[in-house]
Amino acid sequence: MLIVTRRAGEKVMLGDDVVVAVMEIVGSTVRIGIDAPRSVPVYREEIWHAVKEENEAAAQADTGAMQDAANRSG
Amino acid sequence: MSAVTLDSTRFGAVQIAAESVIEFSNGLIGLGGSRYALLTSDAGSPFAWLHSMEDADVALPVTNPWLFFSEFAVDLSDGEAERLGVRDPNATDVWVTVRAASRLEDFSANLRAPILVWNGKGHQVINEAQNAPVRASLFPAAMTEQVVAA
Repeated sequence: MLIVTRRAGEKVMLGDDVVVAVMEIVGSTVRIGIDAPRSVPVYREEIWHAVKEENEAAAQADTGAMQDAANRSG
Repeated sequence: MSAVTLDSTRFGAVQIAAESVIEFSNGLIGLGGSRYALLTSDAGSPFAWLHSMEDADVALPVTNPWLFFSEFAVDLSDGEAERLGVRDPNATDVWVTVRAASRLEDFSANLRAPILVWNGKGHQVINEAQNAPVRASLFPAAMTEQVVAA
């Protein structure tokens, strides 16, 4: 992992299009601003991770289980 | 109207209309893929399958969230709505993924990351609404008892 030291107000470029700015540092909290092209979605990591896990779990479903659930909910 | 073949380990070779293929420019979150199709099973089933056009193994059961969660709402941040170009919520279909389980009361839906579909394009988004958990029980225990009793 690349580690760089930045102060409030300073920025990091990811390629030519993505700007990550350190907006403010208060205690143990850092506010970060991200400027990215529309094609690049930005997620908080823990949410991205939870949704990834949920998508992977959903993709394990077999047709029998879903048929059973459909029958019970009809 | 041209047809394309969807290869599926679950359903075999399925013919679908070319225009029913949905383009996901960012894929599903953490799962990727760029082209999916919605396979609706039997009439009357609340579930459909969001099936990859590219990987025969990849298919996620989905449902209309309002069938199970009448209070459900999608709340996008302004930046996200603008980024995606969502202009007419009424012309947008909303689906949520379903996690199956061996016990009915362990089935859940992901209300936190609904899938929006419009004009042949799909995006899985982060729902900023309150009460939108990643795992919302589809069949709460009380309801399961009622169904069993009936």
